[in-house]
This record gives sequence, C-alpha cells and structure tokens, in this order.
Amino acid sequence: MAVRDVSLDIPEGHFFTLLGPSGCGKTTTLRCVAGLERPDSGEITVGGEVVFSSKDGVYVAPNNRRIGMVFQSYAIWPHMTVFDNVAFPLRHLKPRPGPAEIRDKVMKALALVQLGGLEDRPAPFLSGGQQQRLALARALVGEPRVLLLDEPLSNLDAKLREEMRLELRELLKRLNVTTLFVTHEQIEALTMSDTIAVMSEGNVVQMGSPTQIYGEPEAMFVADFIGKTNFLKAQVISVDGGSSSDLSRVETQIGPLSCRLRAGTLQGDGVTIAVRPENVELTRTPMTAGDRNAVQGEVEAVVFLGNMLDCVVNVRGAQIRVHLHPSQAPKRGEAVTLRLPQEHCLVMPA
Amino acid sequence: MTVPSTIAWEKRAVLGKARDVWPGVFLGAVICMSVVILALIVIVVWLSFRSAAPSDPSATWTLANYPEMFLDSFTYRVLLNTVGFALVMLVVALGFGVPAAWLVERTDLPGKKVLYTFMAIGLLIPGFAAAMGWLLMLHPRIGLVNVWLQTTFGLADAPFNIASIIGMGWVQGLNLAPLAFIMTAAVFRAMDPSLEEAAQMAGASLRSTLRSITLPLAWPGVLAAGIYIFTIGFAAFDVPAVIGWSNRIFTFSTYLVLQLAPTEALPRYGSAAALSVLFICFAGLFSMWYGRMQARSHRFQVVTGKAYRPKLLRLGRRKYVAWGLLGFYLAMSKLMPLVVLMWASVLPYFQLPTAAALATASFDRYTRLPWDLIGEGFFNTAILMALTPTVTLALALCFSWVVLRSKTKGRGWFDFIAFLPHTIPSIVFGIGALLLSLFVVESILPAFGTIWLLLLVFVVGRISYATRMTNSGMIQIHKELEECAQVSGASTIGVLREIVMPLLAPTLLNAWLWIALMTFRELTLAVLLTTRDNMTLPVVIWSLWVGGGFGDAAAISLIMLGLMIPVVGLYWFVAKGNELKSV
Repeated sequence: MAVRDVSLDIPEGHFFTLLGPSGCGKTTTLRCVAGLERPDSGEITVGGEVVFSSKDGVYVAPNNRRIGMVFQSYAIWPHMTVFDNVAFPLRHLKPRPGPAEIRDKVMKALALVQLGGLEDRPAPFLSGGQQQRLALARALVGEPRVLLLDEPLSNLDAKLREEMRLELRELLKRLNVTTLFVTHEQIEALTMSDTIAVMSEGNVVQMGSPTQIYGEPEAMFVADFIGKTNFLKAQVISVDGGSSSDLSRVETQIGPLSCRLRAGTLQGDGVTIAVRPENVELTRTPMTAGDRNAVQGEVEAVVFLGNMLDCVVNVRGAQIRVHLHPSQAPKRGEAVTLRLPQEHCLVMPA
Repeated sequence: MTVPSTIAWEKRAVLGKARDVWPGVFLGAVICMSVVILALIVIVVWLSFRSAAPSDPSATWTLANYPEMFLDSFTYRVLLNTVGFALVMLVVALGFGVPAAWLVERTDLPGKKVLYTFMAIGLLIPGFAAAMGWLLMLHPRIGLVNVWLQTTFGLADAPFNIASIIGMGWVQGLNLAPLAFIMTAAVFRAMDPSLEEAAQMAGASLRSTLRSITLPLAWPGVLAAGIYIFTIGFAAFDVPAVIGWSNRIFTFSTYLVLQLAPTEALPRYGSAAALSVLFICFAGLFSMWYGRMQARSHRFQVVTGKAYRPKLLRLGRRKYVAWGLLGFYLAMSKLMPLVVLMWASVLPYFQLPTAAALATASFDRYTRLPWDLIGEGFFNTAILMALTPTVTLALALCFSWVVLRSKTKGRGWFDFIAFLPHTIPSIVFGIGALLLSLFVVESILPAFGTIWLLLLVFVVGRISYATRMTNSGMIQIHKELEECAQVSGASTIGVLREIVMPLLAPTLLNAWLWIALMTFRELTLAVLLTTRDNMTLPVVIWSLWVGGGFGDAAAISLIMLGLMIPVVGLYWFVAKGNELKSV
C-alpha cells in the first residue's frame, strides 16, 4: 500500500507542500486528488464538494474535477502550438467559451507567465524553462479550484530552479490559488510553502510551517531528511523540576548534556539528541569546568564548500559535524572545544 | 487574469457521476474480437473430434480423425515435403538475407538506400507472381531455360525441375530473403559495436573478431529470425500452390486446401480439422522456441546512445563482389520472374525468345483478357483494401488502449489473444471462418460467399501486426501527456481523439498502408473463402493459372503489380518521412 491514513486539510489560498523521499507516497496522494488514482477508502473534497468517497461510492473523473496540474515532465503536447496547449482546458469547459473569450484568456495566461508573443510557436520549440511556464499557464487558465504541482522544478537547471522557486510562489500568492505541491527537495519546500507535510512510507510524519519543520523536528526522520543533523544516543540522568531555569541532564557518548525533555520522559529513558551543524559553536579556547554542554575534540576533516566550511570533529570517537564561516579555518588535528547550546539540543524519541 | 478565490463548483460533481461510455465501448470491441479469434480456433478443434460435417445429422463425437491422419502414409509424405521445403527455403533466405544485412549495417557498402528500397519492395511482390515466373523458366517441359539448354546441348532430359521440393524452396527462399534481411539487420544494428572494437584492441584480426565475437553475439538473433521464417515457410501457400499443385506435390497448406476442396470427392472436414490441429501444435512449438531465442538475443543487446555510430568496415574493391552477390539476388528474385511474366503475357503461346517468337509478340492478349472478371476482382479487392486496414487499426487501438491504459483485470490475456493470429498459420483461421460461415451462423448470417467474410479473416490475420504497431506507438507516448489532457477536462474519447491519435498518426498511416498492400496481395485466405461472387484479384489470377491460362494469369499479375506501384510509392514516402522524424 503506497499511502495510508493521510489526512490533510488545505485552507483556501494556501501553499501546501508534501515533502518526502521518492516512494514515500506523496505523488500517489497528489494523483488521488487529481483523480488519476482511486484510493481504496477515504474521502476527498475540493471546495466543499465531495469528489471521492468510498463510503458513498462517489468518484468524479479527473476531467470533471476542474483541477489544474503541472506534471513533472510538463506534458506539453508536442503536436500543438503554445496557444493550443493553453487553450485546451478552456475548449473542454462545459459550456465551452466562445473563441474570443478563449483567445482573451489564453493571452492573459501567457502574459502572466511571461510567454506573451510566443503563442504561435510549436510547443516543442520552447526551452525547458519556457515549457515549464507553459505548463503553468495551461494549469491556471481554467481557473482551477486547486493547483497540483508534481515536482515541477526538478527538470530545470540549478540556477533557473532557484529563480523559479521565488517567482512561482510570488505568482501563486498573488493569484491566491490553493496549491498542493509535491517535492523531494527540502529547499523548495522550505522556501515556498505555507505548510509542509513531511511524508515517509505512506504516512505523514510531521506537519507544520517551514520554521517548525526545520527548527523543531519531532522525529529523527524529519530531522535527518531536512538539513544535516548530528544525532547522539542519550540516556536521561535527571528530569527537570518544571521551572524554566532548571534543565534535565542526559548522558551521551560525548559526555553529559543539558536540555529540555518532552513532557512525560522519565529518568532512565533512552532518547536521541539532535543538533544541527550550524548550531554547534567551535572555539579554540579550552573549556572551563563550569561550561555546560561543552566538549573537547579533535578536528578530523575540513571541507571547503564555498560559502562555508564543513568540519568533522572527533569527540570520544563520535563524529560531530560543524558548519563554520570560511574565515574561521581550523586545521586538521587541532584540538578544539565544541559548545552545543541547550536550546538547540532537540530531544526526540530514540 | 484573475483567479477568483471561490468558484461555484457548479454541477460538475453531479456530471461526473454520469458514466463515461467509451472505456466500455473499447472493452466491448476488444472482447468481441477476442471471442471471434478464439471461436475460429475452437471450431477447428471441435470439428477435428466430429465424425462428419456438422450439417450431417448423423455426426457424432469421435477420435477417429486423428488415427486416420496418422495412419495415412500421405500425411507423412506431406510432412516430409513441408519440412524439406521449409529447410531449403530457410537456407536460401538466410543465405542471401544475412550477408546483405551484415553488408548494410557493418560495412561502407555504397548504395545502401537502393538496397533497402529493393528489399522492402521485394516483400510486397506477391509470392505467386514470382512463382509463376520461375515455373515458366524452369518447368521440366515448357521452362524457357530448360528448353534452351536442351536444344543447345542436345540433352535428353530437362536439367532443372522447379516442380520439386528444392525448386519450390528456392523460390520461397528468394521471396523471404528480404524478411531475413530486415530481421537480421535489426540484430546487427542492436549489437554493441564496442564489443567488436574491444576484440580488435585486444589483438584479434577482422576475421577472428567476426568468428569469435560478431557471429556468437548475432547468433541468437539470427536463429530467432530463422525460426520465424521457417514458421512462415511451413505455412506458406502461394508458392506450393502455384508450382506444386498441378504437379501433385503438396505441403501442409496446399494439402489442407485440397482436403477442403478436392476435385473428385466430398470435402473431408474432419481430417482437415485434425490436420489443422497438428499444424497449430507445430506452430505453437515454433513460436515458443522463437520467443526463447529472442529473449536470449535481447540479453546481448546493449542500448547505446543514438549518437553512437559503429565504425564501418571499409570494403574497398570487395564492394564489387558484394554488389555482385546482391545483384545476383535481385536479378533472380525480382527481375527474371517479372521479365518472363512479361514475355509470357505478350505471346499467343509460350515459347523461347527467338526472332520468330518476337514477331508474334503483341499486346493483343491484353485486349482479350477477361476484363469483366478482372473488374469484379479489382472492385472486391479495392473495398477490402480500404476496409481491412481501417477496421484492423481501429480494433488495434482499442486493444492497445485496454491493454496499456486501462486497469481492466486480465488485460494481458487480450494482448495474448491478439498475438495468436501471428502464431497460428492464417490458413487455420481461414478454415475456421469457412466452417463457421458454412455450419454455425449460416442460417442467421449468410456470410459465406460475401466479401464480409473475407474482411473478417483479413482483419483477424492482420490484428497481430496492427496491435504490435499500436502498442509500440502508444508506449512511446508519455503517459503524462494523456493524464494532463484528462485533468484539463478531456474525456476518454477526447484524449484519444486529440492527443493519442495525432501523436500516433505517422505510425497509423504507415501501418494502414502496409496492411492495405498485404491485403491487396493476399491469396491464401481468399482462396479458401472465395466463391464466384466474392473473387479478389489474386484469386482471379490463381483460378486462371490453375485452369492453364498461363499467359492471361501472367498479364493480370503484371497489371496487378502496376496497380500496386502508386500505393508502394506512397508507403515509401510515408516511411521515409517517419524515419526522418525519428532521427
């Protein structure tokens, strides 16, 4: 079973993203909304209308759902011109609009995606970026209730992809189109979405705003899939008394750490501590006795990535990743002190 | 453009509940066609277990047809004839086809396009026309070459006898060499040339590379082509009918027709049916073997980028030798038989080309031909030529849609059934249709003697080819192109009409013309099902030939070939356009 127990509620005008690795069921979910797949059970409503319900035996065919969709391959019909591609959804509206109205709407849609003047060109004669825009114009022209985007940026080159991310979000927000977006690229999800649902093996693991998903991952899968994370296995030594200054203590491979546990965690429980590499502080000054959450280690590798340095520091046999500004270059073999600020030590179930 | 934040959902949800009828229509058409195909086979099998014709009220269940068949020494004679004929044919077809394919794919032979053209056209020249030409050349009594050799060298006996297993195999082999050429050229093309280059880098000479790398790699593919051609030869009708019939040398197909339409006795339906079942079994075994060989040959194929061009062997002066061989083949298979037919058609009676004979030559015969009969035959043929490809391709589209695009349970079986007419010799389907029209639906649907019965078996006969074409065409259409149209509001029929059909148009046109040409020259199925009222042009020719009107048959054959030229030209033009587009 590709998808199970997925329940999403997407408010109008919202940009909603399904994020997950390939095979996690995000595309299947999208295709169920489009009507291209039939779920075994459940209910799908669009704008308050039931388009699928296993209970009531309702299944509205995709051509009657009035949904816009941009496919991963763009699905530009090669035997038609740019104009005919965009006009297609209008020509299949019931009742069918007149030629003047169709022309008017097509031209507006093309202008919207900056393809004005290209309407007579055969569709295969467009560049990849233009085809992507054409697919978007075609999806929007019929004024759909929901726009479905199936990894629409994955076939563009890196630079164009970055431009399109912002442009697409800006455009869809301006039009106030309810959007369901599927991607496996965390950066796309983080920069474009109002809400992200992280999926794994057919389930939604966590749902929230981009800052929540990145800053407060609730599960190891989410922390691992979105951004790089250091994971430390830990055991709870003492549980805090409930006051804000009082912190719990856990024992990890690299030494004892202070952090805030989730409610209900008991002394002796096994947990996992997650720390993002950019939240680890690296100094050359040796640690003092009173330093909380500080550990001593040795620089094992330094990789230059252009905008930052990716360091691996060996602390008692554990490898901790640290992201640094390029100006702050430690040497291989150098002894350093790492600080893991307690507010960035996220505790999740083991 | 403004997209309103709320759109009235109109009554679309309600509309959506209305059932789309087209998937049902497609499935219905596919089921009907599948039932017809299966029924034609089943009726043959059924009749093989009946003691007499179904019209005979005393008919009972019996196993007697089988022992009768196996105890008749003539069956073994026919079997031996057929195997011998098919083997000779195979040696000849591969002997010309494989070297030609290798020359075209792996050497810098000049004039490859010309060769391809001749080979493709060669497939279209009706087998019976070539067979007539060869009979007139090498007949032991009247054959031109024989008579000439006998008079020149004072020989008592004719040196050649075309009316023999070897002679018929030779003619059929020449006819099928283009098929061997096309199939093995594909094998050579799909082979990874870097494997050969690696052998040369490792120090192997051209000759040892050929022996140790090229041939072992090509072998399964060539063997698969061989099995395929052997199967066709096994079931061939044209050549054995034209050359063997009057000399009482029968192969499977002609023997079957003889059983059903004997000159001096009642039709023996039971034994014909039993023979057909045996035939089906052989065909099944061959196609299993063929499938296995093809799978093995695909294993050796490496899909390389299309930009990759293998290094071609420089022939140098050897190209004259190569074209000598190819020229010999073209002269033997195409030119000579046609020239002899022409010669026969302008003479009042058949004789050696001497000055005296030339003086009697005239086009008188053409004015005295049975034009009524030709007109009738042409009319029927033209109708079939227009309808067969149209109906076949429409059904093939339904098959492909159901098999590839619908989620119908057991859709794989439909593909299997559509492939059956390819596996089972078409003559069996002809017999099935004959029995069906004579005994089963006779009272409700008097189809026997009409061209509609011919249409039915022609469609069955071509459905395998047509579905292969539409399947491969539809597989190449990205599924998202159709899904996008669906999401954009197009119904099932809308998607088919506006997306699938336009994208398939080159494939469909190509297949349409090919099927039309095959229908034009079809003799096997037509012979079985023809009466005075639904004669096709090939049947007119055959009946004149059997009646001894060699000159008339030759003349009409030439007229028929002339009529084919514009269609062949169109086909060539279309095929060429497709080739350019795919590059």
